[in-house]
Amino acid sequence: MLVTWKYRPRQSVIETFDPRARWIFSMLILFAIIKFWDIRFLLFFFALVMTQYALTKLTWAETKRAWFFILFLILFIVALNTLLTGRGGTAEVLHGGHVLWRLEWHVLGLSIHPTITVERVWFAMSQVVRMLSISILFFVIPYTMDPRLYGVTFRGLGLPDRFAFSMDLAFRFVPTLARDFSTTLDAQKARGYEVERMEGGIIAQIRKMAPLVVPVTMNAILSGEDIVNAMDLRCFGIRPRTWVHQLHYQRRDHLLIAFGLVIFIAAIIVRNVLHVGDFWLPTWALQWAA
Amino acid sequence: MEEKHMWQFGTREVVYAAIGAALYGVFSWVTNFLALPAAGNISLRPAVSIPMFFGVAFGPWVGFLSGFVGNILGDFLSGWGFWWYWDLGNGLMGMIPGLIWLGITSYKAKDAIIKAEVMVVIGAAIGMLVPSLLEIFFSGIDLKTAIGGYWFPAFLSDAINGLILVPILMVAYDSVAARSGR
Repeated sequence: MLVTWKYRPRQSVIETFDPRARWIFSMLILFAIIKFWDIRFLLFFFALVMTQYALTKLTWAETKRAWFFILFLILFIVALNTLLTGRGGTAEVLHGGHVLWRLEWHVLGLSIHPTITVERVWFAMSQVVRMLSISILFFVIPYTMDPRLYGVTFRGLGLPDRFAFSMDLAFRFVPTLARDFSTTLDAQKARGYEVERMEGGIIAQIRKMAPLVVPVTMNAILSGEDIVNAMDLRCFGIRPRTWVHQLHYQRRDHLLIAFGLVIFIAAIIVRNVLHVGDFWLPTWALQWAA
Repeated sequence: MEEKHMWQFGTREVVYAAIGAALYGVFSWVTNFLALPAAGNISLRPAVSIPMFFGVAFGPWVGFLSGFVGNILGDFLSGWGFWWYWDLGNGLMGMIPGLIWLGITSYKAKDAIIKAEVMVVIGAAIGMLVPSLLEIFFSGIDLKTAIGGYWFPAFLSDAINGLILVPILMVAYDSVAARSGR
């Protein structure tokens, strides 16, 4: 069983930026996006994150599984929300509206009759664009950020040394523990354990995982003692640490952060000073109800 | 013997938080094929017992980082991106059982297992409630959808996984802890 990170060098523009600048930019854009419910503004953000996606040089073959996952998740939740209430961040969607369909279902003797209005459908569309924008903004990170740099990146973003080092170590332990898991799986199979035969109820299925989870975990804990001793002998944590990989902000990183800040401040002005960007319904959409 | 503090984060905690996170990430990735039909992003992940158990065995910070970083790793290995509020929720799910860490002397004692089971349920409830409620803010869903679509299936799956596997891990760890003398 081979565990591989989704990252590989692609010589894309995105990879030339300092990871810290990318995290700061992404968080600024996230907090700008969540200020809006107007689909026109949300489409601007969607275009922005798709531009970022285009700059990553990711291929469809690499990402199709993730796209299906994200789209399924978003459509499931939006459909559920629309059927249940259709309400979200904007309270006016909840009450009244122009009726599009009136459904009637009978489930377990209960009569459920959700009413789908033009307002709910339009809100659901805005919601899909907003959720997609947020998802795509962060979705590219595993594919375009070197896993060896997470520790030093988060240290650079203000995380204490020990927490950043722990994060760094976790990324390094993954291949070793995946190999241990694979060895354990083979050993258990040789003893007649059939991981593929997942029959029985949920509880039985979970219990069947114990012969895999327990030995790998206990083995990792025992090996951990050696690592703790080795680190203690080298006086880990006595002084602030240095990192093998150093990060340095370049001019382009400052420009990226400045761009993010401009968008974030503009979003605050548009929403809080100009009071524009709340839920918007075009008048032509009301014709759907007729 | 060195005195333990609830929120200590020394070398031992650094290493075990990393091991817990890596284990959680690897197990999540391996078991992603067991998808529950209940909700889109919720899968039956026995791996959730790892941060809960690491919390109980090594303290709240270890539990938190195992859940937080482990969920990031699992999503990165699967290529699903970065969902920081769900990472935070997974962190809380590991941190809350860790609050009984100092009170445990024997990991196979009945009272320790019962306490751990109670904390596992509370941890799963609060840990999944926080990101479900944050989804209202970020995704614009309402409370009913947050509870029915996100919280309930996630809580149920995580609590069941934790209730079954955490005691098994605790009993196995009891002999390991005795062996290491810590």
